[in-house]
Amino acid sequence: MFREKWTNIAIRILSLVLLFSGMNLLYKHVFFEKDLQKYSSIINLVRDIPAEADIIYLGESSNNTAREDDLDKRKISDFIGDYYPGLALYDLTKPAAHAGVFKVLLQQMPEENEVETVIVTLTLRSFNAQWIHSPLETSLQKSLVLLKPYPPLFNRFLLSFKAYEIKTKEERERDFKKQWVEDKLQFPYEFPHKDVKKWNRWMAYTGIMDEQGELDRAQTELACHYIKAYGFQIDTLENPRIADFDAIVELARDRGWKLMFNLMAENMEKAESLVGEDVIFLMNQNRELLEHYYGSKGVMVVDNLSCVEDQFFIDQTWTTEHYAERGRKTIAKRVAAELQTWYPEEYKDVGY
Amino acid sequence: MLFNTIDFAIFLPAVVLIYYLIPAKFRWVLLLAASYYFYMSWKVEYILLIVVSTLVDYFSGIRMGKLEERRSRLPWLILSLCINLGLLFSFKYFNFATENLNVLFSKVGLAGKIPMHELLLPVGISFYTFQTLSYSIDVYLGRQKAEKHLGYFALYVSFFPQLVAGPIERYSRLAPQLRERHIFSYDNLVNGLRLILYGLFIKMVIADNISPIVDQIYANPENFASGHVLTGIFLYSFQIYSDFFGYSTIAIGSALLLGVRIMDNFKSPYLAKNISEFWQRWHISLSTWFRDYLYFPLGGNRVSKYRWVLNILVVFLVSGLWHGANWTFIIWGLLFGLIYLIEHVANKSLNLQKEHSAYSAGHLLLALKTFFLVTILWVFFRSQSFGDAMHIFKLIVQNAPSDPQQLMIPLSTWIFLLLFIVSDVFLYKRRFDSWVAGMHFVLRWTIYGVLLFGIVAFAGVENFPFIYFQF
Repeated sequence: MFREKWTNIAIRILSLVLLFSGMNLLYKHVFFEKDLQKYSSIINLVRDIPAEADIIYLGESSNNTAREDDLDKRKISDFIGDYYPGLALYDLTKPAAHAGVFKVLLQQMPEENEVETVIVTLTLRSFNAQWIHSPLETSLQKSLVLLKPYPPLFNRFLLSFKAYEIKTKEERERDFKKQWVEDKLQFPYEFPHKDVKKWNRWMAYTGIMDEQGELDRAQTELACHYIKAYGFQIDTLENPRIADFDAIVELARDRGWKLMFNLMAENMEKAESLVGEDVIFLMNQNRELLEHYYGSKGVMVVDNLSCVEDQFFIDQTWTTEHYAERGRKTIAKRVAAELQTWYPEEYKDVGY
Repeated sequence: MLFNTIDFAIFLPAVVLIYYLIPAKFRWVLLLAASYYFYMSWKVEYILLIVVSTLVDYFSGIRMGKLEERRSRLPWLILSLCINLGLLFSFKYFNFATENLNVLFSKVGLAGKIPMHELLLPVGISFYTFQTLSYSIDVYLGRQKAEKHLGYFALYVSFFPQLVAGPIERYSRLAPQLRERHIFSYDNLVNGLRLILYGLFIKMVIADNISPIVDQIYANPENFASGHVLTGIFLYSFQIYSDFFGYSTIAIGSALLLGVRIMDNFKSPYLAKNISEFWQRWHISLSTWFRDYLYFPLGGNRVSKYRWVLNILVVFLVSGLWHGANWTFIIWGLLFGLIYLIEHVANKSLNLQKEHSAYSAGHLLLALKTFFLVTILWVFFRSQSFGDAMHIFKLIVQNAPSDPQQLMIPLSTWIFLLLFIVSDVFLYKRRFDSWVAGMHFVLRWTIYGVLLFGIVAFAGVENFPFIYFQF
């Protein structure tokens, strides 16, 4: 009786194992590719990288956004490639992407790929609360589920059962507003505002005056944006971007890639003129932290934070890393210069 | 926490496992904590509404239980009704009433507007309010003894499998089962899992794949040809059915894993021969609630003919209003009432009350008629306004041939829908778990395989909450 019962249970477990294995095979060979194209077409960015690529540049909209009057509308990665005509440099550009997305894309890189160097865009703003809790995050996370390192059927199960963070726009707004209050700002000098919410409120009430002494609403609003975008201090233990960049460092170590983080330029001129020295202090503090933190892990960090002048930022009423041709070329030049460390022979000065 | 999420896939087995591991006397604590946690996963602060509702009805029940005279119990019943229905009104109907009053005021030339609130409708408020009201009314009528144990009463109000979208259970049915010392049963486990599997299939594979198609058509019906608008109307009938039936089936299966048997909420309603039978097979727990707590107190059919007609219309109107604060629901309910009355008169005068055996040609013809009528009425249910519903009908009648927007319905959606319809025909007289239990091992496992594979590989991936959550 006892034996028969356990035999029945064993038969059922075996049936389930066989069932799942068979279903996984069926799904993998018949349906997986269609689902990939439907829900995770981001995979095509990796597939488009040829096996013989020497350098891969991972970027977001900063890489491929150009100004209307640009004579040369090419990407930053194209300009970098100009300095190394003998090397095959390919870009992998996904607007609104951040380290979490880059990490998954790099994990998809086939083992047989002979890539030597990986350049990853490091955007300071991506460490802020508003970007971490961005409304775009739900769809971004969803697009990565099928790419997880599990059997295809299990990934589809995770997608079907919504195994990613689903939050409404309101919930995400609540999250970053909460973080603005919880993260206390610490300055080595007396600073009247304890957190971003208080600082932002002060700016909104005090305002920026125009030449006639009238309240300039547009400039005040922009100053508030700068406070919310750069008023933070990176906590290497808590910030999810750090965890993602750390994972990229680990992956590069495992795969033997040379790794470069390209710290993108922010409009520091405007930040200083609108908000003042305090926000510059925070930006510089975060810059130093990232440089030291990743420098100590063997990553080459190219510091472009203040290398682009205000006039070369495309968006003048918002905080973005979109640069006009001159700005893109400046960044490309600095990255190319640093790459000489690894490719001294291949470097050709193209005079950008 | 939706039933079709990874969170619930972890939550439910964890609760079931702990449930059978701990001593029976502590199980109510576990289930109450799990139920509150389950509800708080939507919006933490709304748990206060359940707590208020629970406390009011618990103490009202205790007070009523101590009073012999029904008349002296009345103030406590009124207190319970006022607070529960007051909360329901505040969250669900206040804005609707205000909006209509403001329109009325402006028409009669009164200045000023009553402001509306922006509070979110708490998930499942109509369900648990009706559940707890049935307890208060039963205690008032002397049909039910007052519960003395606050914990068990709180659990009755909030039992997580059926908390947010029913089935609306009666105290006399559910409470004794919550007290029972259930021993782990292999049969309950298997049947519960079967029901969960089938429920997930019809929610995730049928409803969630139909949902974007229907949304697309209802959002801009003028962009589609008449045939496609008709397809959208047809598909909505199956979307709402598979969505709610799926939810109820998962709820019943989940409760069964804990040894608790919840009432069936659906029995192949689209195979009903008339509207009366449809309501005996659709959302059964709500229909019986209205029968017991509204229709019978109004006098039922033991009144004059005219009064009976009025009773029927009142019940259907309230039923419509229960579903949502919108004129479309009121019209939907009233139309159901009218069709019910017309069918009643026609059956009597034309002597159509002949019994048709199940699956006979007569049965299927009548079922088709019922399905057609219900499908037409769903247009009011689904539309945002009466005007939108009429616009849909106009587009069909106009027979608009232009089809600038192509309607893409994957073949797999049709195949799975067909499978669902076929299975529903078989489920006319029995439930899914008992149906498959009687099958040959190979056939049974083939069905498991198809359902599992469908859920994993063909489930809709958009996050569509269960439709009835909004009620």
